[in-house]
Amino acid sequence: MRLDSIEVCGFRGFRELVRVNFGRGFTVITGRNGVGKSTLCDAVEFAITGTIGKYAVEKAAKETLSDYLWWRGENVPKAHYVTVSFIDDSGMPFAITRTRESGSDRSPQEIQAVLCRGLAPDDALRQLTRTSIIRDEWIAALSLDLSETERFDLVRSALGALEGSEAGSRAKEVVAAAEAAHSKDEAAYEAARARLADRLTQQSETQAALSRSGDVSAALQVIAAAVPDALTELSAGLATGRNALANGRARLGLMSEALQLGREIETAQAAYSGPDAVANREAASAALEVARRANEAAQQVVSEAEQRLLREEQMDAMAASLSLLVEHGERLGLHDDQCPLCAANRTSDEFAAGLVAARRRITSLASGVQTARDALASAKQNAQQPSLTLQTATAAVQVHADELRSLREQEAAHLDFYNQWGLDNHFIQDPGGLEQGISQERDRLIDLERALLVLEASQAVSRMSSIESNISALRTEIERLAQAVSQSQNAVTGAREIERSIRRVSAEIIDERLAQISPLLNELYQRLRPHADWRTIDYSIRGDVRRFLSLKVGDGLNPQFVFSSGQRRAAGLAFLLSVHLARAWTPLRSLLLDDPVQHIDDFRALHLVELLAALRLDGRQIVCAVEDPALADLLCRRLVSTSTEGGRRLDLDIGPLGATSVILDQEINPMPVGVLRGVATA
Amino acid sequence: MDIFTQAEILLRDAQYETWTWTGSAGPVTCFENAALMGFVHVFDTADALLSGWKESQHVALARHSASLRGAGAKAWNVYSVFLSPDRDARRGREIERIEEDFSLTRKIARASIATPDDVEMTLLPLLSIRSKPQLGASNFETRLRTRLKDIPQDAVTAFLKDATPAEIARILGATS
Repeated sequence: MRLDSIEVCGFRGFRELVRVNFGRGFTVITGRNGVGKSTLCDAVEFAITGTIGKYAVEKAAKETLSDYLWWRGENVPKAHYVTVSFIDDSGMPFAITRTRESGSDRSPQEIQAVLCRGLAPDDALRQLTRTSIIRDEWIAALSLDLSETERFDLVRSALGALEGSEAGSRAKEVVAAAEAAHSKDEAAYEAARARLADRLTQQSETQAALSRSGDVSAALQVIAAAVPDALTELSAGLATGRNALANGRARLGLMSEALQLGREIETAQAAYSGPDAVANREAASAALEVARRANEAAQQVVSEAEQRLLREEQMDAMAASLSLLVEHGERLGLHDDQCPLCAANRTSDEFAAGLVAARRRITSLASGVQTARDALASAKQNAQQPSLTLQTATAAVQVHADELRSLREQEAAHLDFYNQWGLDNHFIQDPGGLEQGISQERDRLIDLERALLVLEASQAVSRMSSIESNISALRTEIERLAQAVSQSQNAVTGAREIERSIRRVSAEIIDERLAQISPLLNELYQRLRPHADWRTIDYSIRGDVRRFLSLKVGDGLNPQFVFSSGQRRAAGLAFLLSVHLARAWTPLRSLLLDDPVQHIDDFRALHLVELLAALRLDGRQIVCAVEDPALADLLCRRLVSTSTEGGRRLDLDIGPLGATSVILDQEINPMPVGVLRGVATA
Repeated sequence: MDIFTQAEILLRDAQYETWTWTGSAGPVTCFENAALMGFVHVFDTADALLSGWKESQHVALARHSASLRGAGAKAWNVYSVFLSPDRDARRGREIERIEEDFSLTRKIARASIATPDDVEMTLLPLLSIRSKPQLGASNFETRLRTRLKDIPQDAVTAFLKDATPAEIARILGATS
């Protein structure tokens, strides 16, 4: 299985439709920076996985990679799609088309079924592209710069899923099931032990009860006296006796409560009827009477002052009217020696004297209002104190009335309590008698309880044999459960041993496989020769649960820290190519390299070309994008082109409208053979 | 070990055609395949190699110049391999520096060639990938059974035959 062709339109920098037919042997793609060499690798990855994994940051400024998958430049492409075609060794094609509008025409399962086989790793398509497309960005990042655990995981994924890879998770499930069963057995065992402890306690109590057993016949008499209609059967008699005891205790409680109430009323009555209380009430009544009389007198004075003020105000109003009349008459003056007001004949002097006399009278009428007001204010002021005194006296008398009402209410409640609970009413007025009755009832209940205890103790003999039988059964049950706990503990131990063994066997298998690919890693390293002195590279694996894969050169040195950037990239390439070649789970024999020679000097670039040529000799299809045309020439010369597995060279450039196009698509023909012998044939 | 012979064995295994031509500078092994061609020169000493490699290259190219002129692009793919069994470590690095001379031919120059492995290591740029890991079945089940010899075999069988975890736990408890 190898790449056959790719067709892109409206994808990334390719606005127009571009189709690239890959050489079955190799394809060398060249062009300046930004012409779309990498996009062809992107397109292969995108067609297979639906994404492009080379970007460490997938989201920036609210935009994601998906916003940049399709053409964003000027003009609108005719379509937006990527089609990648593969062809297997028998010539059977397989194509995947992804469009912007509807996604892929192939499901991931379909793609995986064709491009993977056997025990493929988890996330197989991503692993496939990750190990088939070696990008400039990944050469160091996915090799030397990986953490040792990530490096281990990468290699393990490249090796594919291991036989029994599901056994680990199954073993965990078995451990969990065994632990659950063990917990259940332990819980049952503990519960049985708790029950046994209860029974043993009961046994001790019963033995103690037995030791307390007394005169049963006397006890029966006590119960018969307490409960005359009790059944003769012992257990029924016990139950009736217990009920009678409970009822008696309840009644005793009520009697105690009635006694409490009676005592409280007795105290309240004594307080109300005491000589001091009586004297206080009489004094309060007398004070109220005195205050009432004083208040009435003061109110009488106020009333009289109000009446006087009313009269004075009426006379003042009359004076005002007269004043107007006098003024009017004065203005009119005598008319034919007659007074304009009364029509009597008057002289001017008489008229003037009459006016003066009238004004004096008016003044006299108006002068009493202010005096009357002052008198009323004084009377009201004087009436305030008697009023306050009356209020105080009234309140004092009310307090005594409230005390009496409260006492009567207590007495009524007391009577209600007796009626409600059916208590003997003659104790209402006799708390002392009630107290005596309570004491007798308590004695009776104690006798009843003792009698019941004696009867219960007499039953303990038969209960003891039941308890002993129960204890024996429980001990047998505990023995059985302890055995089950032991067995389930062994099951847990066995399950854990299975889990441990699986982990170890799996780790051993991985270690062995890594050991098997170690010579390959070393050979590729030796071919690329990153360092003049350190000709070999070794790996070591550590860890049990977390596995670490470290690379060492020379005397245990970490190449990550001792190599230059170019040397690190060369060592990284050796690592990634060994991972690529170790995959047994894919029929795809295509290796894509995107600008693999950055930071690598010409001498080591030549080693890389020779290594790729060696891979070609093994039948690998090489697709390599480089910037340098001279290097592209070298690759085209050095990679083997045969009649069945030919080579191609593509030169890309950006056209005048800003879209990428293929400006050279050249078939690389096989070279002549027999040159040195002088019998060359093409 | 005869370096010439060993080189020819390796090259023939790698599908090269090889033959020997003896010129004025001594015998030369010629080789050619679909993409490459070249000459293997062997020197007794490191000094002889350092002093004589240019002359040997010149003689070989001159002898085949007519053929090479008609070879087109393949004429760029000519290798000159200069080998010596001499273990003079002082000269080893100097000899390897010859490889960084890109004039006329691609050069492979190495001293201390004593074993077939040394020859193979030196000729790696001309050969296909030698290491081909065969990652076959790992016999996981057999190895696990052997490892779990202290666990009741019916429990192991139940585990490997996909019995339910509860059933396996039951068997483990019942048979322990």
